[in-house]
Amino acid sequence: MPDFTHGFTIDASKCKGCLACMRACPTKAVRVHDGKASLLPYLCVDCGSCLRVCSSGAIKPTTLSFAELDKFKFKVAVPSPVLFGQFPMAVSCDHLVEGLKSIGFDAVWDYEVELALINRATSEYIEKWQGPFPLISNTCPVVVRLIQVSYPEMVDQVLQIQPPRELAGRDLKQNYAREHGISPDEIAAVYITPCQAKTISILEPAEQTKSHLDGALGISEVYNDVLVAARALRKKEKAPSKGPGCKTGMVRWATSRWLCPELSRHRSMYVSGLSNIIQVFNDIEKGKLRNIDYIECWTCWDGCIGGNLTVDDVYITRSKINRLQAELPAYDPDLEKKVKLRFPNEDFALKGRLRTRNRGDRAYDLKEQVKRIKNEEAVLKALPSLDCGLCGAPTCKSLAEDVARGDAKQSDCVFYSNERLKQLRKIYMHNH
Amino acid sequence: MMAEVLLKKSFEIKGGDFDKAGETSDEIKQMLKSLEMPPGLIRRTVVITFEAEMNIVMYAYEGIVTFVLTEDEIKLEISDSGPGIEDINKALTEGFSTATDKMRMMGFGFGMGLPNIRKNSDIFNIESEVGVGTRVSSVIWLNKHA
Repeated sequence: MPDFTHGFTIDASKCKGCLACMRACPTKAVRVHDGKASLLPYLCVDCGSCLRVCSSGAIKPTTLSFAELDKFKFKVAVPSPVLFGQFPMAVSCDHLVEGLKSIGFDAVWDYEVELALINRATSEYIEKWQGPFPLISNTCPVVVRLIQVSYPEMVDQVLQIQPPRELAGRDLKQNYAREHGISPDEIAAVYITPCQAKTISILEPAEQTKSHLDGALGISEVYNDVLVAARALRKKEKAPSKGPGCKTGMVRWATSRWLCPELSRHRSMYVSGLSNIIQVFNDIEKGKLRNIDYIECWTCWDGCIGGNLTVDDVYITRSKINRLQAELPAYDPDLEKKVKLRFPNEDFALKGRLRTRNRGDRAYDLKEQVKRIKNEEAVLKALPSLDCGLCGAPTCKSLAEDVARGDAKQSDCVFYSNERLKQLRKIYMHNH
Repeated sequence: MMAEVLLKKSFEIKGGDFDKAGETSDEIKQMLKSLEMPPGLIRRTVVITFEAEMNIVMYAYEGIVTFVLTEDEIKLEISDSGPGIEDINKALTEGFSTATDKMRMMGFGFGMGLPNIRKNSDIFNIESEVGVGTRVSSVIWLNKHA
C-alpha cells in the first residue's frame, strides 16, 4: 500500500473511540476498531472534517513547532490573507507584523503582487485552454486530493499553475538571500494557515515536486500570542489610529478569487463546501455540466475563511473582510505597474504532473473484482441499513465493502453478534 | 463464441421524470468505480448512460437501460417505447435537436445526445420505428483501456 502523508495525525492514546470523526468523514475513510479511530489512507482527501469534530484532542494537524525552525537562520511568515480578518478591527497590519515577529519570525512577507500575478496567469490559462472543460482551481489542496482519489479521470482538468503561497515562498527566499547574503536553504518560509490541508500540499505536493514553503503554523496556533503582542503595542501608541487597521491589498484575496473582475468575466462558477463540490463533480463526470470553462472550488464553507484552524466565526470574518476590502482603492496603479512589469518574465507553471492515487500496484483480475462486488451486495442485503456505526464502519455499505475485501466480518454488526455487544460494552461502558 | 457474462443489470427509466434523471448513470458509475475499472472507461460508460437516460426522459414514454459486463466488453442496450426517430441520420448530426423550449430552459437539448453516444462507443447501433420506439446498442471494449 502506498504511503500517503496526511495533514493530521490520530493519537491512539488520546482517542476515546467516540465515532464523531467516522460519522463526519465525507469520504468514509475512518474506521473505529477496539475503541480507536484509524484511517484508510487511500480514501482520505485531507478535508479535516474529522479534526473539526474531534473532542478528545486525538486528531491534531501536522503543523510545525518553533523548535523545528531553529535550524534556519532567517524565519519568514507567509500569512494566508484570511489571517487579516481574524483579529479585532483595531489591530492594524503593523501590529500583526510585530505580533508575528514577537513569536519568533524575522519578517512577514506581503505577497499582494504574487496574488495578483497568479490571478492574471489563471485568467490567461483559462483563455488559452482547449479542454477538457471545465478547468478546476487548484489552490485548495483538498480539491486536488479529491480529484486524485475519487475523480481520477479529471486530473487533466486541474489548473497547472502554482498557488500564490508557493510563489510567495520562492520570491521571499530569493529576496532575503540577496538582502542578507545567506543561502536560500537557510531561510524558512512558514505559511500561516487557515487549515491543516495546506500542510499536506507543503509536505507532499500532489505534483510530486518540492514545495517552496518549509511548513505551516495554524492561525489558531499563533492567534493568542500575536493578539497579546499586538494589544501591548497598541497600548503604547499615543494616539491609536481610528477605523479598520489592516490596509494590505492581500485582503482582496481573503475571499473568493472568483469575485474579482479578472476571473468573473470568464464563464465560471464558484462552489464551496465539500458535498456541493462532489455534486458538481458528479455532473461533470456525466457530461451534464456544459458551457462552464472554469470552476473555483473551496472545500470549506465560504472558502478559506471557514478553515478549521481559524479562530473567528466565518460570518464575522466575512463581515470584517468586507469592511477591510472597502477601505482599499478599487484600482491600485502601483500594484498594476508591478504586475505589468513582472508578468511577461515569469513562469507560473507547476513543475510536476498531477497523478491519480490508487490502492497500489497489483494485478487486476476482473472476475475477482466482480465476485467481490457481488459478495458486497449480498452482505449489504443482510445488514440492517441503519448506519449506526457500532461495527466500526460509518455505514452498512462501508461494512459490506470491508467484509468483501476481507478487512472486517459480518459479525462486527451488533445485529449478528452478542459478542460484539459485550466487547462494545467493555470499551464504552467502563464506568458502569 | 460469446464471452461469459460476468454481470448484468437492468434499469427502468420513466419518460418525463427529469427529477430522477441521472440516477442510473450514477449507479453504473459507482459500480464501475467499485470494480476499480480504468478512469477513461468509466467516463465513456457514464457519458453514454447519461445521454441515453436523458433521451428517454426527454422524448420517450418509458425505457430500459441494460448493462452487461463480460471479460472483453461493456455492452449497453437502451430500448424505449416512444415516438421513435424519423430521420436517424439527422438525429446523429451534432447540434441537431428536437428539444422543446422547456427542455432547453432546463439546460438540455444541445443536440449532442446520440452523437455523444456514438462518439464514446466502439460499436454503435441504432434502430428506430416511428410510433413504436428506439433501440440503441453500444459496446465499449475493455482491452483498449488496459
